[in-house]
Amino acid sequence: MKRILILLLISGIVSLGYAQEDKKFDVYTDGNSPSNHYAPSGWMGDVGDLSLDDQNMEEPASGATCIKIVYSGKRTQGRAWAGIYWQSPPNNWGNRKGGFDLTGFNKLVFKARGQNGTEVINKVKVGGMGLGTEVAFPDSGEKEAGPIQLTSTWQEYSVNLAGLDLSYISGGFCVMFSADQTVGGATVYLDDIYYLFDPTLEPESMKIGFPFYVYADGSSLDNHYIPSGYMGDFGDVRINVNYKGSAYSGSSCMKVVYTAEGTQGARWSGIYWQNPVNNWGSRDGGFDLSGATKLTFWAKGENGGERIEEFKMGGIMGEYSDSDSAGIGPVVLTKDWKQYTIDLRGKDLSYVIGGFCWTTNADVNPEGATFYLDEIKYEGQ
Amino acid sequence: MRKLLFLAAFAFCILHFAFCNDARAVKVEIKSTPEKGYKLIVDGQPFLVKGVVYHPVPPGSDYNYDFWQDLDAIDKDAKLLKEAGFNVVRLYVPSPDLEKTKKVIRQFYKNGIYTVMGHWVGFWNYPCPFYGDEKFREEVKKEVLEMVEALKDEEGLLMWILGNENNYSFSGKVNPWPCPQADAIEDPSQKICKKAEIYYSLMNDISKGIKEIDQGHPVALGNGELITLDIAAKYAKDVDLLALIFYRGKRFGNIFNSVKSIFDKPVLIAEMGCDAYDAYRNKEDQDIQAEFLLFQWLDIYKNTFERIPEGNCLGGIIFEWNDEWWKYNPSDSCRWVYHDTLGGWSNGSYYFDIKVSRNLNMNEEWFGITAFSKDEEGTFLKKPRKAYYVLRDFFASPQKFLEDE
Repeated sequence: MKRILILLLISGIVSLGYAQEDKKFDVYTDGNSPSNHYAPSGWMGDVGDLSLDDQNMEEPASGATCIKIVYSGKRTQGRAWAGIYWQSPPNNWGNRKGGFDLTGFNKLVFKARGQNGTEVINKVKVGGMGLGTEVAFPDSGEKEAGPIQLTSTWQEYSVNLAGLDLSYISGGFCVMFSADQTVGGATVYLDDIYYLFDPTLEPESMKIGFPFYVYADGSSLDNHYIPSGYMGDFGDVRINVNYKGSAYSGSSCMKVVYTAEGTQGARWSGIYWQNPVNNWGSRDGGFDLSGATKLTFWAKGENGGERIEEFKMGGIMGEYSDSDSAGIGPVVLTKDWKQYTIDLRGKDLSYVIGGFCWTTNADVNPEGATFYLDEIKYEGQ
Repeated sequence: MRKLLFLAAFAFCILHFAFCNDARAVKVEIKSTPEKGYKLIVDGQPFLVKGVVYHPVPPGSDYNYDFWQDLDAIDKDAKLLKEAGFNVVRLYVPSPDLEKTKKVIRQFYKNGIYTVMGHWVGFWNYPCPFYGDEKFREEVKKEVLEMVEALKDEEGLLMWILGNENNYSFSGKVNPWPCPQADAIEDPSQKICKKAEIYYSLMNDISKGIKEIDQGHPVALGNGELITLDIAAKYAKDVDLLALIFYRGKRFGNIFNSVKSIFDKPVLIAEMGCDAYDAYRNKEDQDIQAEFLLFQWLDIYKNTFERIPEGNCLGGIIFEWNDEWWKYNPSDSCRWVYHDTLGGWSNGSYYFDIKVSRNLNMNEEWFGITAFSKDEEGTFLKKPRKAYYVLRDFFASPQKFLEDE
């Protein structure tokens, strides 16, 4: 009898162990599966560029259906990006309660493929819903990964969530596309999206290698910051991050047009390259760039003589502030490409969310200014 | 006869000390530590500056208000400051009547408060400061040295600060000044550098002049942010310390290390602060002011030699003791009796209200840690804000707050 009890106890422990390792929480398995916990209801950016079929039957990775997303990259709403959040409850942007406590999981797993095998998902995200805003029920954490270059066959991808506060997640999964990374559009397939507990997983430490690009090429996977931080007269600024006309290096550069019209009455404008997008210090993010000794970039003016008051990095302050800042300026641009350097020696670069920035104003550019930027990168020794 | 002479001499001495109000300066010096940190020594003891900018302009008046004669009001303020643990006031400039200035310094010192004495060094001279002009430079230097000569023996004097944020003028955005040597330069960056050379060399010359007549008090260079500090390192080697004026919000980040690598002199934060008005929510917010100021002081303490051997911070001075109701629009005297709630400038480091229209979140009239309120007779009195009490608790037991961080 005692032996049976011991065997039962051992088998119980084993089964408990399996249960722990098998712990699984579905975002999506099949189109009509009752185990799906989130709905693809949170459409963002150029929503007119997107179509989604979550009951697609073209070679699913498992089960009967998968998700097919077609992204045209046509910039229908002029944003140059688009994305979809899987939300709980549907259409919840943090203003309603209904997220899940996913404590105990430490990994998001999903399968993906592209129609041609050249498609790029700009990023996938977990959580982040309402973070940095004043909604009543913001997610407790946020993690993103990407860009991801797909192949034409199903591959499994995962996001390490170890150490992330998952106690309240209403944005269970998010996929985003960038028009600059998706020239001509993309058709991608997703399947088997779920949370998992992996006992071998440790919190990630971000390893940075130099050169570390803010901007390499418009569609480069090496770009680490997004030009989302418009300042001052934001209506006076247009930026094309995939300008093919006269790149210094690679296939494209950035063309910036500043009209100096004073649209918002500030008489100055500027753009921060941020990580994550639109982060003014209210959210965790950025990179540890310790070891970089300089930030270099190439710039030129349309006619020569355009004046930029300051080029800088860092300096965004908030609950999650940049650890330091450095800059140069004023700079009068030449008509030919010229490299500029911001000295970073002695700076604390352990936390950089504002990777690059420029500002100028109407007083020094009364007729406006058109200028170009390329190869913005942090360099080590 | 000898006895009579002795008695007469004794009586003369007694009368001299009883009726002559001559003061004797306390020795103030800066010493470096073996680890390249710095400490301020006052009368032989280490001294951490815990100060406020003092400019007690009441509602209805502007910067021309002559507060120097209000010794009773100054005495009340000094007692409040002392109670909270402050030990310094910073005055931007002496009264034109230096005798009045002496009385104010003494009034504070009676209450254990030292005075940091500033000088504009001609920055607001009409029509503009001609720092490149030799005659102008001589006149400014003479004016500063007259101040030093008159005040250097005051017991309550701690140090001199030359200029405030005068370096912001090099770009021409604030109080621009013509200078043929710089204006001939086409490159705007080089033009700024040239003006910086001209200005900082004058500060160096004045600093040397001060030291010829006063070896008892350090001379600080007042500088806005770290702008052009690399040029000051070359042209103002004879100043003793940096009086840094900046508004970086809640935390100071890496600024002390940055100063060390650019301009290796001790640092006094000569202006820092947070307004007590939330421009976005359109209401007074004493909590956020108290929170920001507390964190600023934590960063100051964490960068003193007592906390880290290489600490280069000598202390801090809050902007400011009281609100000033004339500041939103100095040219409109009708508004000086109103406490304006409109933001005058933008600073993203004060992120709690940066979303206000046009991002104008800085309320210049609301920086006081005391606010004016009327008593029953309609007289304006200074009433401490929450920040005053939070800092009083902090100064009483900083270790407790530092451990809680």
